[in-house]
Amino acid sequence: MVLLSFSFGLGGCTTAPHTQLQAPRQSFPPDALITQRGVLTVFGGRQFPLNGYAALSAEYGLRLVVTENFGGVLADVLLTPDGKTYVMRSSPTFKTEWIERFLAADARCLLGLSQADCPGESLGPDRYRIARRWYRLEVQTVNVAPGPQPLESFVPPVTSTP
Amino acid sequence: MKKLVLSMVMVAALATGADESIPDATPVTDPQPILAQLQQKMSALGSVYLEFSQDRQLQLFAAPLHSEGVMLIDRPGWIRWETTRPYRSILLGSEKSVAQFEFTDGRWNKLKLGFPQALKQVMDQMTLMHQGQFAALTNNYALSVATGAVTIVTLVPKDETIRSFLAALEIQFPPDFAGIQAVVMREPGGDFTRINFTREIRNPKFPTHTFDQTNPLDLAAIQAAAATPRPADSQ
Repeated sequence: MVLLSFSFGLGGCTTAPHTQLQAPRQSFPPDALITQRGVLTVFGGRQFPLNGYAALSAEYGLRLVVTENFGGVLADVLLTPDGKTYVMRSSPTFKTEWIERFLAADARCLLGLSQADCPGESLGPDRYRIARRWYRLEVQTVNVAPGPQPLESFVPPVTSTP
Repeated sequence: MKKLVLSMVMVAALATGADESIPDATPVTDPQPILAQLQQKMSALGSVYLEFSQDRQLQLFAAPLHSEGVMLIDRPGWIRWETTRPYRSILLGSEKSVAQFEFTDGRWNKLKLGFPQALKQVMDQMTLMHQGQFAALTNNYALSVATGAVTIVTLVPKDETIRSFLAALEIQFPPDFAGIQAVVMREPGGDFTRINFTREIRNPKFPTHTFDQTNPLDLAAIQAAAATPRPADSQ
């Protein structure tokens, strides 16, 4: 419904973080659909509210869809257990390179799949902040629906190479 | 082998996928009389309080993504779109500006919105739709109408870039055109979002600060005021 045709200003910087986020993997069921609400703050202090929907599978990995206020998909990414990243859908807002470089890493941090390269901190129960040089992302988990997710969510694209 | 199994599952899922959100309706050749009737009926509405439930159906996920909230519209161009579940957020629009608040740490925090003009355009269009002013939308959308158990006004974006993520917007009205019953946003790949308006209060008097973009009034106070009949209503 809305086209937020902007690109994030990567030419500036925010305060470099000193702590590492340690989101516990065991805080989520092994198979679940997780809903998160977040606010992305970029250079200059501009803020963008986001919704994140993550299908989590202990066997097949993580599929994350990020949308804007009215549901328009900004990014869709598959993270497989072998550490590969597949950008399934990008947008003028979240370009492929940005998804691969930042969004995938943040998703791994926030869902406890990785604790390396997770500059940030816990803000309270189910609330976390990732603070990289170029942006700050505050995320709250608002719903966890346990249960297996559709297997088709975890199929990598045939022609794509990570 | 794992990839093969997953591929087979995906094909099977796509083959059985069906969109149950399309009601039976027959396209009309000349939509203008119905659009004029809608505008006449809806222009009588000065203000409106609507509760909605929104289900976003993505083929990727087994269950729809559900949210709930309220939408308030008042003249001349005030709009408040508030999500109450599963998170809390307020979008406010006026003829001049938009604002957004997120509820965190037990209080409302105003965002420093990036590119608010894009959001304002959407809020303006939502207001026009709920006022039945479809003629004002024809610069951006191609309009068509179908009738049946419900009347459906379909808006297809004229801009190719917008069509790449929004195939069509369907607005469903009951037979008496009393108000908008549902809105369906269709995406090119078959995903869609359905917003059902579940409760409506027509011409409520909203309290001061309902649409305040600095310190918006709490929803509970608005609901209490909106549910109170105006003196003219009880005569």
